[in-house]
Amino acid sequence: MNIMVSAAFINPLSDEGEIIVRELGDFERVLSDNDDLMQIVTESRSQELSDDSLIPHNYVDLAIKRIEWYAKKKNDRNFDHKQYDFLFNTEIVKFDVIAFYLLCQAVGVKYGPNSRESRVMVESQGKLIENRLGKLSKNERGEIVTNILNSLISTTHLKWTFFEDLISTKKLKLHDLILDKGEIILDREDFLERFSNKIQGRKPEKMYEALIGDRIKELVMIKMVMQNTENYILKVGEISEREIEPNPILLKLADKISEVLAASVQSYGFGSGYGGSVKASVLNPKAFPPCVKKVMEGMKSGGRNDAIIMFLTPFISYARLYPSVFSENVTKQISDVDPTLLIVQNEVLPLIFGAAERCSPPLFEDQPQDKVNLNAKLGFGMHQNPELKNEGETTWYTPMSCEKVKIHLPSLCKPDENCKKIGNPLSYYNRMIWKVKKESKAESAAEQKDDKR
Amino acid sequence: MVKIEYLTPASPEERKRYYREEWDIKQVPEYITHSIQEREFGFDHVGRGPNDRYKVFRTPDLLKRFLKVRTPFAAYCSVAFYDKPRRRDRWTKAELVFDVDAKDIPIRTCECEGVCEICLNEAREIVCGIIDTLNDNLGLNNIHVVYSGRGYHIRVLDNDVMGVNSDVRSQIVKYLVGAEVPENEYSLDYEKVSYEHFVIPFGYPNVFTERVKYSILHLNEHIELDGVNKKLLNDVLKNKHLIDDDNWGLFKNKLGPLRYKKVVNGIASLNMSLVDAKVSIDLKRILRLPSSLHSLVSMKCTEVKNIETFDPFKEAVPKFVYERKE
Repeated sequence: MNIMVSAAFINPLSDEGEIIVRELGDFERVLSDNDDLMQIVTESRSQELSDDSLIPHNYVDLAIKRIEWYAKKKNDRNFDHKQYDFLFNTEIVKFDVIAFYLLCQAVGVKYGPNSRESRVMVESQGKLIENRLGKLSKNERGEIVTNILNSLISTTHLKWTFFEDLISTKKLKLHDLILDKGEIILDREDFLERFSNKIQGRKPEKMYEALIGDRIKELVMIKMVMQNTENYILKVGEISEREIEPNPILLKLADKISEVLAASVQSYGFGSGYGGSVKASVLNPKAFPPCVKKVMEGMKSGGRNDAIIMFLTPFISYARLYPSVFSENVTKQISDVDPTLLIVQNEVLPLIFGAAERCSPPLFEDQPQDKVNLNAKLGFGMHQNPELKNEGETTWYTPMSCEKVKIHLPSLCKPDENCKKIGNPLSYYNRMIWKVKKESKAESAAEQKDDKR
Repeated sequence: MVKIEYLTPASPEERKRYYREEWDIKQVPEYITHSIQEREFGFDHVGRGPNDRYKVFRTPDLLKRFLKVRTPFAAYCSVAFYDKPRRRDRWTKAELVFDVDAKDIPIRTCECEGVCEICLNEAREIVCGIIDTLNDNLGLNNIHVVYSGRGYHIRVLDNDVMGVNSDVRSQIVKYLVGAEVPENEYSLDYEKVSYEHFVIPFGYPNVFTERVKYSILHLNEHIELDGVNKKLLNDVLKNKHLIDDDNWGLFKNKLGPLRYKKVVNGIASLNMSLVDAKVSIDLKRILRLPSSLHSLVSMKCTEVKNIETFDPFKEAVPKFVYERKE
């Protein structure tokens, strides 16, 4: 079988990729202008060449372009794919692999595996693979996917637990896979042997192509490469903790990655999913998601404690005091954002107590000791009232994700249209607050117009 | 027939009689006695929750002595295994558990306040469905069922899953209960093909079909389904015989595709409450000890040998209850 495209083009962590890394030689070369790289870029079929800044001159430039491609593609409405066409030229593989390793190492050394930079790196690798596969012919695509999968999975009887990591990080969802007796069915013949006699009125072959076929194989392969990328960043992070001085080239590249992400967010606005600074401001209940609105109305006895203490308290406190917690990814205490605790006392607690009062029976009448638990979730330890001297005894709990709400308080989750693209009620609020403001501005403008008439 | 709602809580005297005369350490399943040193035990002595925790027993005999002397209101044992259970330290693995509580299942055909024979039987049917999926789809073995007093615990001791974290467990729960509506449109090279879940007789779509079937057959006019109005609910009830005959295509046609979608969406959202997912994702949970007394309802927490034929009113009522009635 003649494989036209190198596996390293899709999976830089493959054996071919490792050979390319070994052949690099002197690390300092990554900053030197590279004529071969520039030639491949300029000869890429649809590459835009009007500006020299569009052409990476060395490995580090290429690494930055890689991340920039992802950030702009995701956020910039005027994204021009012709500026990055070289990323899809299969001849760039030996430079691309080095750029990939540079990015992983820079992110791993400077930010570690749990950073937004690491998340973006992993996501960008996944997107790049998808787009690269999309530009291959059907045959090339099928061959390379099978080739890479075979190198990643050594057994024909694949238990679903083999993908524990992918399932745990939600890269793969259990219900997306076809399982039988604990095994994941990927192979056509295996599928036909197991299910042909059960399928009625439909062609089993066609059903295989639709339900599994290349689609699931590609999905599994892409997610495995993403997971391996994440694991590699983790390994780099662990090694770097033991080393005294990280390489300055990597540190500089890490700063540049952060700049690219920040610039992307500033230029193209909030809503990118990995950036954007939402300023703390007075709460607007109109922008609350349906689950919060439901708790604000008061809960019945079952799930009442969890709804007020575990769910509402973190939501209200973060929405009011630190709404950008997930994009900033910096742990804070309440006093970092409300040094005198006046906002907590005058705005946060009254809202939570109000909701607790509307429960049936009212929560704190029934269980006054839960005030201590509420206080603990704000980070002020197991005490009756929030006081600065106790801060830090417990952690200020971040708001539950939608996933957690579904598990802990399934009756709360009644999603509306706006819930579709968010994974946390706080993200919903941050989006809606902007929308609600825009709407009320439009309303007042309309009113002013009417007044003038 | 003994009805559970008529059973009053066990008195301290009855608890004593139960543990000293009726209970036997041999009734504690081997999967617990064999790993007794690795588990944490917890006890509720007065009926206010398991406050006496972090207990460890080196041998089944020591557990026996404790229960016979203290005759607790309730006894619990961890699903987790630790190197140092006394401090709940160095967690090594945990059983994968599912708690199906008859009073909390989302669709009950009875209208009882607590639990009764009808909803307990419905809980049993749900348990049977979950066990089938654990075996047939997830390929898991070493599955035990315990009647808890108000429902059932499914305890999976298959090494393939005992080390998995809460996130994986949460996905397993969603898979088992049918909490996600499967895709119904798939892309082939130059066309889109549509396969509703009910034409796919394997994998998750088939699990979902089974759960939806169960729910529709148990629906009544009092059930509230997200996004389903009274008229649509009535139409579902009117046509549910078609589902009983597995005539899904006709059922969908009778409702119309958009209204059908609303129904399955509503059921998927309700399905999340078939089990108490909090229990399944908790890696350090303590569960009622099989063979111990559920003092609130005077029932024995009993290991179930055959879930297909198990009847709690025959197999889980302590002797003192019959004597009390007499």
